[in-house]
Amino acid sequence: MSCAKGQPCEEGLYRRVALAVLGLMAAIFLALSVASFLPSRGQVVPSTVSYAGHQAVDGKRVFQAYNCMGCHTIVGNGAYFGPDLTKLYGHVGPAWLEAFLPSAGRWPTANAVKLQLQNEAVARAAGTDNLDAYLARYPAAAERISRRGGQVTLMPNLPLSREEIGKLIAFFKYTSEMDTEGWPPVPRVDGLTFPQAKPLPGAALAAVAPAATAAAPSAPRSEIAEGKQLTEDNGCTACHSPGQEKLVGPGWGGLYGSTVTLADGSTVIADDAYLTESILNPDARIAHGFEAGAMPSFADMLDDKQVAAIVAYLRTLKDRKP
Amino acid sequence: MIRIEYETQRLSLRFFLLMLALYFVQVGFGLMLAAQHIDPKLLAGTLNFNVARAQHLNLGIFWILSGFIATMLFVGPLLSKRELAAPWLIKFLFYALLAVVAWNVGTQVLAQWGIAGWWKGQPLLQEGLEYLEAGRIADVVILIGFAIVCYVIVRSFPPLSQWNEIHWGLGLGVVALTAVWVFGLFFIERLDLQEYFRWYVVHYWVEGVWEVIHIALVGFLLVLMFKADVKSVGYAVFWGISLVWLSGLLGNAHHYFWVGTPEFWQFWGSLFSALEPLPLIFCFWHIYLDAHQDGKPVANFPAFAFLLGSVVLEQVGAGILGFTMTFALTNVWSHGTWVTLSHAHLALFGTFGMLGLAAAYYAVPVVRGVERFDQRIGTLAFWLVFTGMLGLGFAFAIGGTIQVFVYRTLGLDWFGGDVAPAMLATKLLVPIFGLIFATGTCLLVFDLMTLGYRPLPATAARAPAVAVAAAPTRWSRLLTGWEAGLWLLAMWVFGAIITLGLLSFNLDTVRQGNATFPYLMGGVGYPGLLSVTLLFVWRFLSSLAARSRVPQAQAAPAVLAQPEPVAAI
Repeated sequence: MSCAKGQPCEEGLYRRVALAVLGLMAAIFLALSVASFLPSRGQVVPSTVSYAGHQAVDGKRVFQAYNCMGCHTIVGNGAYFGPDLTKLYGHVGPAWLEAFLPSAGRWPTANAVKLQLQNEAVARAAGTDNLDAYLARYPAAAERISRRGGQVTLMPNLPLSREEIGKLIAFFKYTSEMDTEGWPPVPRVDGLTFPQAKPLPGAALAAVAPAATAAAPSAPRSEIAEGKQLTEDNGCTACHSPGQEKLVGPGWGGLYGSTVTLADGSTVIADDAYLTESILNPDARIAHGFEAGAMPSFADMLDDKQVAAIVAYLRTLKDRKP
Repeated sequence: MIRIEYETQRLSLRFFLLMLALYFVQVGFGLMLAAQHIDPKLLAGTLNFNVARAQHLNLGIFWILSGFIATMLFVGPLLSKRELAAPWLIKFLFYALLAVVAWNVGTQVLAQWGIAGWWKGQPLLQEGLEYLEAGRIADVVILIGFAIVCYVIVRSFPPLSQWNEIHWGLGLGVVALTAVWVFGLFFIERLDLQEYFRWYVVHYWVEGVWEVIHIALVGFLLVLMFKADVKSVGYAVFWGISLVWLSGLLGNAHHYFWVGTPEFWQFWGSLFSALEPLPLIFCFWHIYLDAHQDGKPVANFPAFAFLLGSVVLEQVGAGILGFTMTFALTNVWSHGTWVTLSHAHLALFGTFGMLGLAAAYYAVPVVRGVERFDQRIGTLAFWLVFTGMLGLGFAFAIGGTIQVFVYRTLGLDWFGGDVAPAMLATKLLVPIFGLIFATGTCLLVFDLMTLGYRPLPATAARAPAVAVAAAPTRWSRLLTGWEAGLWLLAMWVFGAIITLGLLSFNLDTVRQGNATFPYLMGGVGYPGLLSVTLLFVWRFLSSLAARSRVPQAQAAPAVLAQPEPVAAI
């Protein structure tokens, strides 16, 4: 501070008072900060939360690596382009997330969630392996399945590995358990039955995007279309791409009729019999580079006709390049 | 000032030009985001929204910082009455800044494949935290850059005993800039603790550091433009900085309402951050006083227009819109919605961006030795950018109000199916105002880049930048202090309406699904606030532009009382 010559100078006093008040503020701030993170606050910490063998802390790293906050919000901070993720786990449960995250291309159907419940670790975390009980327990999952199931989502398809998905879910489990002082506010009306809440026509349009299928080379078109639909409804596309890229499982493009090297080094032709077996009993002959147990059995979910339809669909992809 | 007084002032030019280039690219990303909001499938998988947004945020921070550095380099020698210390270091800083910007643009893209570059628990390449997306490598380079800025500025200044308030403001500002950056250099496992420290960087930068640098630089630019008395400006700077820190230190609490920290923050945050507009009102008042301390024509009209825009948008965007959502009872609704976007855009671009642009308009002609330039282009660019930004603020605020109702009150959480369609009309407004803004941006970037290299058009007179009338009309007559106060009051009245509108989301009738009250209040408050802002700036600039048309003798009544009494507030 500068003082004019020959005039009484009170600026030093102002400065001292300002600094003293500032010091008081800083002291209050520090005291509040310390109190915020004391164990007695009882706030959940990520090192104590795990899901199906995955640590929440690892999930936070995945969350940051994909910059999820750049579209979504977490504890309300982020980009407002997609929904807030803080309480998502508590609303939709782990099986819905397991079904959704691998392929954000489509919203999970009931079968896709049911499939995830076959996984013991998922069922344990969800508290049930029965779909109806699950949906009763996580009504938001039921709502999503009935309103959005099978429709296209706007989330880009991220190359999340199985491992990363488990970690992410562990992180969401942690954030869901966090005490956020009542935020976000719990709605008092059911928006779905509320007249002003009807989706506008644009939303319906966006949902009917991909419909046409490739022309049928051998089997009747309806069977192929049904097979394609079944792969989407049952969550197959969560792990398998119709092209040649490897997601969790092998891509289907060019798979049919190709020679597959198995884990034990022997080879097999990917024909109707092998593909059918791989759907009903996936661990029987695992291809080289893939883990046993990664894919569940569809024996309880698909009948023979449906499996045949899926195989017919896969047949149409045999010439498909990426 | 027509020519530079110190050779090292020339070093500011390259930072101004870099600022303009980054600003241009950032606006491009902004338009991209607006388009993706309308069609979320646009470029999905090629340039995902989160990557484009990270670029938009980071480039915004980078160009604001470039503007600060440029302005400080320009005024540094004038404040020090000697050349800047270590010019070679400043040249190095420029290339380091270029390199770190290019590096960061490149590494942000890796988020599409989930590559963060983990090494010893730290994300080296990018870390996916809003505003702090830069990875650790860029972080460390930026820290070194800040240290260089500190060194150059503080070394160039006279001995500590001779510092006035502007020296203190800038000196404390650059040191604090470096200090708070350190809190963003760690990976933190707990989400609540991570958010706690993330706001150390973001809030204290904006509220504790940038604001302080802003006050000091606005003060000194007023000294340069209006020959305002350094001492009276110094009072304003001292009180401004004191109030910023006194309110802002605990004001940070408004970021700790819902991030997992305890309830008591709601009390402290609501109380102290409500005081945050005080220094902004102070700054607002001072630009009025300094601009009116004599009745001389404004020599550099675009520079003053941007400076006024900076102070007014600081008042409206940071002050009023910030105030509306700073209470726990309003923030519980606005948090995590588009409502906050109107505040963020008006406050960040308005306050800090426009300061850099004002300084560029002042400094570029001086450094290039241009005595006369066509000021109409810069003035037109100002109006395009200013109205464009106010329009964006309107679209975000109304869209946000709809979002709060649909998403929070009705609990509809399907963005593709429910929330986005409900907001569609306002989402369409964003690129419309965005294009107006972008037009102004292109115009001013072109103007400043080529200023002095283009021949002066014969029609371009020296100063009259606004449509010329024969004599001051009612609209362009002298703006009195009373009238300016009434304009400010009108802004705050609309601010109060907005606040009540957000507060009304707590009413039982609204929670039962009746949106009339918040929609009405928002529908009156936001357009009211933004149009009053527009009209006020128009009125202010018209009254200043009229000065160049009246003979000096008639303008004599414009001389107001000494600005000193302000210090008594």
